[in-house]
Parts: sequence; structure tokens; C-alpha cells
Amino acid sequence: MKKRLPLKISISGVRGVVGDSLTPQLVARFAQAFGSYLGRGKILVGQDARASGNMIKNAVFSGLLSVGCQPVDVGICPIPSFLVMTKENSAIGGIAVTASHNPKDWNGLKFISGEGLYLNPSQTQEFLDIYHQGEFSLVPADKHKNILLEKNPTGPHLQKLLNTLDVEGIRRKKFKVVMDCCNGAGAILAPRFLEALGCETILLNFTPDGALAHHPDPVPENLNTLCRTVEESGADVGFIQDADADRLAIVDEKGAPLGEELTLVLAVKYVLGKNSGSVVINLSTSRAIEDLAHDFNVPLIRTKIGEVNVVDEILNTKAVIGGEGNGGVILPAVHPCRDSFTAMGLTLEYMANTGKTISQLIEQIPHYFMLKDQIPGSPEDAYRIIRKLKKKHTKAENISTLDGLKLNFVDYWVHIRPSNTEPIIRILIEARSQKKAEKIMSHFKNEISGL
Amino acid sequence: MKLLKIGISGVRGIVGDTLTPELIMDFASAFGTYLNSKKVLLGRDTRISGPMLHSATTSALLAAGCDVIDLGICPAPILQYMVIRLKAEGAISISAGHNDGDWNALTFINQEGTYLNSYQGEEVLDIYHLEKFKKMSTDKLGKVTPHPDYLDTYFDKLTQFLDSRAIKKAAFKVVIDACNGGGAQIVDAFCKHLGCELIPVNNEPTGYFPHDPEPRPRNASEVASITKIMKADVGFLLNSDVSRISIVAEDGETLSEEYALPLIAGYYLRKQHGAVITNYSTSRMIEDVSQCYGCQVIKAKVGQSDCIQKMIEEDGVMAGEGSGSVAIKEFQPAFDGFLAMGMILEMMAVKSKKIAGMVKELPKYHIVKEKIYCPPVKAHSIVSDIKKLYPSHQISSADGIKIEWKDGWIHIRASATEPMIRIIAESRSKEKAQERLEKATNFISQLM
Repeated sequence: MKKRLPLKISISGVRGVVGDSLTPQLVARFAQAFGSYLGRGKILVGQDARASGNMIKNAVFSGLLSVGCQPVDVGICPIPSFLVMTKENSAIGGIAVTASHNPKDWNGLKFISGEGLYLNPSQTQEFLDIYHQGEFSLVPADKHKNILLEKNPTGPHLQKLLNTLDVEGIRRKKFKVVMDCCNGAGAILAPRFLEALGCETILLNFTPDGALAHHPDPVPENLNTLCRTVEESGADVGFIQDADADRLAIVDEKGAPLGEELTLVLAVKYVLGKNSGSVVINLSTSRAIEDLAHDFNVPLIRTKIGEVNVVDEILNTKAVIGGEGNGGVILPAVHPCRDSFTAMGLTLEYMANTGKTISQLIEQIPHYFMLKDQIPGSPEDAYRIIRKLKKKHTKAENISTLDGLKLNFVDYWVHIRPSNTEPIIRILIEARSQKKAEKIMSHFKNEISGL
Repeated sequence: MKLLKIGISGVRGIVGDTLTPELIMDFASAFGTYLNSKKVLLGRDTRISGPMLHSATTSALLAAGCDVIDLGICPAPILQYMVIRLKAEGAISISAGHNDGDWNALTFINQEGTYLNSYQGEEVLDIYHLEKFKKMSTDKLGKVTPHPDYLDTYFDKLTQFLDSRAIKKAAFKVVIDACNGGGAQIVDAFCKHLGCELIPVNNEPTGYFPHDPEPRPRNASEVASITKIMKADVGFLLNSDVSRISIVAEDGETLSEEYALPLIAGYYLRKQHGAVITNYSTSRMIEDVSQCYGCQVIKAKVGQSDCIQKMIEEDGVMAGEGSGSVAIKEFQPAFDGFLAMGMILEMMAVKSKKIAGMVKELPKYHIVKEKIYCPPVKAHSIVSDIKKLYPSHQISSADGIKIEWKDGWIHIRASATEPMIRIIAESRSKEKAQERLEKATNFISQLM
């Protein structure tokens, strides 16, 4: 198997391993390229709670200063709050120091426009072009700016959330919530947010010190403590954020994890019940949302994988909601980005308005089982496999080659695509039952190894 | 032309041109690697490019695993003192001293609080050229600790060293021009500790230099007029890292920066007998003064690194250069503008004399200086070619070339901090000094 490279430059920014590829010099060059791309102005710099954040952030500062930009040190900040701040501030852009859910030896940079959106693919290409050419617009000493400090980085985001949600309705219920911030950036806002919603909150792992309490991917295996605490405390619900607080997983009142796919499903069902409008999801997101869109008679648009693609389409179609199956809920009324706080707010509002528990709400939605697996392989391997599979599966109801290969059958689908960030081929299968999904998975893995 | 100077004690260049974040990081990475990931102090002057160099240096040191104690805006001599107090392994001072505002520099300081000596400096440069930098993994990265209350620590020590009772009793009125540099506002603490009334000039730590930050008579007109009008006892000018001073007498006469060393030596050597270290470009006044006390003068190459190193090796009691820098070993092995001002105040207090009177006691020389732009590749051969100009003289080539006459001398050398050839001539007779300077300058211009 080809070894995973310790550096990845892609449309989602740059990620690398600290102590290896992600050196101060590399980071400074990226910051210089970004400043040269946007022109001289105020650029916000935020970070997740990773221990290497300070080293990377200082490198970003020096790069931005050298090309005449004014860095604003936002400090540790949940990524959705940072995006809102970048839009509401007079900044021309932002750099988020984060490696999302990658292991703790990783870190990276995400590049954000003045509208508070991740650079789209064509903007990223322009910017990366400047990076690769290595010609940066250095300014003389007298044009250098100083570093400003932002002391309330979550303020505008919290305001937007409270303006959008039915705060009074949620407050009346006085929910008991267990909140696991995974010692990530979400801890900066989660206690204040839940307090504003009148919740009694039990906080777990709320020190944003970079010592991640468990793997930051909010998949069921990482939820043990949360599940137990919900059960023992008799809480109404348990929430867990990933390290940069854009994704959310939910635990029901019995202490059972829902699986991250259901975060978006619940949110979509609730929002479509209130507002009619199109829904945007990526190719790998659960078919339950297709069923919901069908029931509510609204358009459903599927995009390539990648938050930026979903957001682009949400803005194009003026969708009311969208997101990704990995627990990333996007409510454009708050801000067009994945936002664990929006997801929590919608979930609590759904519970408050219906008077139902999480497990009752879940019962009412279409049931699917999703299985995610991977095999080692480069993008070239993946496309060779995909070409062959496409020839074989002519009877699939409909085939999409928008991103890898997605085969839709009557009661299941299979999605095979190269990872954007690792030399692996991802295989996703969704079927009506776990047994069926497992059977299809082993069938497809056999078929692929035969190729 | 490439305005970048890499030397054993650090790197100096023009921001927005040669001095890029990457270059700074490479040097800071090399230094962090050399220090083997130990504790480092960081200080800077007020230059507008300071935050850029400061953040680049911080990032590189953390990546190399060094814990950084950040002293923020901190004059070099205080940083050097704090290295010892905080038991750090070294320090980086971010300041280009007397250079214009478009310049900046990193200076490396070892655990004794002195500039790196040539062996240490060469090792850092080897690491820099090999690019063999330590790259620590996430859990071994350094951390930043701010250390904001160091001023009292330093000034308490200075107050103890000086005869501060005498100084306080004299209740001097002092004019100081900090050039909005690293000494800005810190001079307030200096005066407070010594019971002096401060009349501050350019005392905002903004980095906007109202004149170039070299303490010399040509920059002293503001201080001179204020000193005279306000009837102050003395005036001082500082460079941006407070390693150098120049003095203005109570009558508003601007003294050459050459006076700081012989004035202080004339007072200190009486108390503390021993060798004085200076360079080949410094006024003969120091030799005359030392001779009065039977003290030896030992010459070192130009620059703080060599001069202080020699003071330690030769067990001298003090060191200094004609550019206005003074070190007293008993206090600390560093060129220290606060110490220099303090010594001047002490001698005024103890001897009950004003500056103008003390200057009259010194032998009168005329010193003239010139610098000619010349890239480093050419500078050394040109300096060597000048020997032809003096066929019948004995030439010393320990540092550039130096020719001595009965009434004076000329010293020609390639600058270590700028792409320049420096020519300095001194004589009892103003005309002779000027004539020798012009002769050498013309000859160099023809060679170029």
C-alpha cells in the first residue's frame, strides 16, 4: 500500500503533520500567498484547540504581516463562529488553523473569503497558483501593520443563532443536556449557548487545551462516556461535537447513539415541516433525506463530496437547509456552513415544539442502515476500478459519476470514490437493514478485489 | 544589490526585500536547533516590522521545541541580563540597533548573556546552511510564556551597582531621546529608579523614527536645544536597542559619540584598575585616559561579539567602542546604554561636575568618519588594495587596515552590518584628519 503522505494540499486547504511536513516556513508561505491573493487588508486568524495551534498561528501572522495584511488574532474559536465573524467583521478574509477531525499530530489551514465562506474550487485554484509560483507581494517595513486582538469571537455567531431559533419555546422545556466538546474549540461557546437556551447542562471534556479526550470523529465508537452519562443522569439528550465544532452526533434519552447520519435527517425533517424549499446534500448522504424531500414535495439536489460543493449549491438554489451525512448541518438562515450549534438548536427546538423525545422522533423517520468501509488505493486505482464497475453494472436504476461512482438500486445504493485526503478508496453502502448492507459490502469488496 | 548581512551574531537585512519570514524562520530554526530545544528569551525593539519578525521567530522556536519566554518590547541589554536571571539557554534580540527603520535583524545571545562568539556563531550558520532543523512533534512543541515584570528586576540590579544614593541626592534633570525605539517609556523606569526628573523626547514606542536611530551629534539637535532651554543637567540619545548612547552637555553642546567610553573610563578605572577592551576604530582618547591610570588597552575587532569576548578572555574590567557603547564586566558582559547613562550620572554626582567641564579634561582629538557603499564580495579586496596608498607605513591588518601616525590614525574596514566600507580618521589636527579621510575615500572611489 502507498504510504499516506504527511502533506495534503487540496480544495479544503492544506493539512500536514507537525514535526514533519507542516513547518513554520511552509505555513508562512501559504499565508503570504493568501495575503497576496486577497490584497492588503484585515484577515482574521482563528484556531481550533490543537496543541500546535500557537506555533502555526505565529507563522501565519508573520506571513500575513510580510505582505502588508493586518492579522486579527481571534484565538481558539469554533469554526462556524469564525466563519460568521469573518463575514460580520470588515475583514477581507480569514485563515482557520485547524485539521478538523484528523489525528492530533496533524494541523492545517483553511482559507476563507470575506463573505465567511471557504474558498470555492476556482478561487482555491487561483490562490494555489500564487502559492506554487512563490511570488509574493512583500511590502516594505513602513507598510507593515500590527496584530489586532478579537476578544469576543463567538459573539456574532451566538447572536445569529438566538435570532434564528425559537429560544422561548426551547427555554420553557428546561432540557437537561449532556454536552461533550471533545476538548475542542466548541467548548468556547457551548456552555453559553446552552445556557441561553435555558438548558441544564452537564459538560464533558470542555477544556479547549488540545489534549483531545478521544478521537475527534463523532462516530459511535467515540461516544462511550457520553452515552453512559446521558443514561445515568437521566438527561433528555446528549450532544458531541468534533474538534472544530462543525459536526454533531446525538445520543438519545436512553443513552443510545443515533449514528451521525441521523443528525441531518432530524434537522431536515424539522425544517421542512416549517419552511418549504429545496434541500442540498452530497452523494454519500442517507436516502432518508430523499424520502423526506419527496414527502414534503421539495427539490433535492445532490452534489460532489466536500462542504464547499454543498454550500455552493445551497446558495445557488436558495435552499432552506442542506448538509452532509457526517453530522454536518447547514442552515443558511444562520450561516451557510456546517454548524454543530445550529444542529443542536434545531434538535432541541424539534423536541420542544413536538413534545417528543429523541427516540420517538427517530421512530417516525424512514430507516436505513449505512455501512462505511475503505480499501487502500490511489486515485488512479480508484478510477480504474470505477471504469470497470461501470461497465458491469448496467442494470443499476441510475448511475452517477459526479464524484467517483454511485450506483442506485431500488432498495440500496453503493458509492465508491477516492478519498480527497488519503490514499484510500471509500466504499459506502446504504440498505434497509444492517444484514443486507453487510452482504452487499462483502459482495462489492470481492468484486473489487477481483478487478 | 542584496542588502542582507549574515554574520556570526545574527542576520540583518531590509524588510520587504531580503528579510522575509522564511529567512527569519530558517535562522530562528537553526538557533533553536543549536540550543537543543531549550528555553529561549525573546525581545524586540519598536520597529514597525517587529511583529512580523517576532511572530516568525516565535513560530520557528516553538517548532524546534524551544520554550519561549516573551519579553515583548525589551532593550537588548535588559534581555541579555534576563537570560542569566531566568536561567535561559539563550535569547534572540529583534532589533537593527542604529540602522534605519526599513532594516531589522536577529541577534543571537548565548546563556552567558553575550552575543554568540565566533565558534558558537559558526555552528549556528552551519546548521542554517545544512537546513538540518529540529522539527518536534506536536507533544514536544515549545510553549510561550509572557514575562511582563522584568523591568524592576533589571533596574534594581542597576541601582545596586551604581552609587544611586549620590545620584538621587543630585536630583538631576535629564533629557533622553529614545527615538521612539526600544528604550521608549522604559527610560521612565530608569529615571524613576535613579531619582532623576526625565524630560522625554521621542518617547513613544511606535517605531516611527523621527531621525535615524544612531546616537550621533547630527541627530542630537532636538535634545541639544531642549537641554539648554530647560536648563537640564545632561542630555542623552539612544539607539533602538539601547546598546549605544551619545551625550549632550548642559550647555547644549552635542558631544561626539566617541566621548561616552573615555568619560566613563576616566571615572571607573580610578575605582577599578584593569584592562580596557576597544576596537581599532575608537578614538585615542581611551588610550590616553587608560595610560593615566596605568591601565592597558587591548584591541578587538569591531562589534559587540568580539569586544565582549576579548574582555572575558583577557580579564579586562571594561569594554567599549567609539560608537557610544560601554560595558563594565562587574555589571554584565553587554554593551548597555542604561549602564552608560547611569555611570555618567554617577560621575556627575560624585565629582559634582557638569559634562562640559569633564570634557575639557580629556585630550582633544578630531575624528572624521565616512562610509562608501560596496558589496561584501568586493569590500575585502578593496580594503586590502588600499595598502598601496601607504607604501612606506607600517600597516596593521588585524581588522581591516589601520595606519598610525604620531598625531593620529586612519582605519578602513568592511562593515559587518551593512554593505559598506567604513573609513575613520582621527588626528590632533582637524585638517590632517580630514585630509587623510579624503585621500582614502578618493582612492577607494577610483578602485570601485
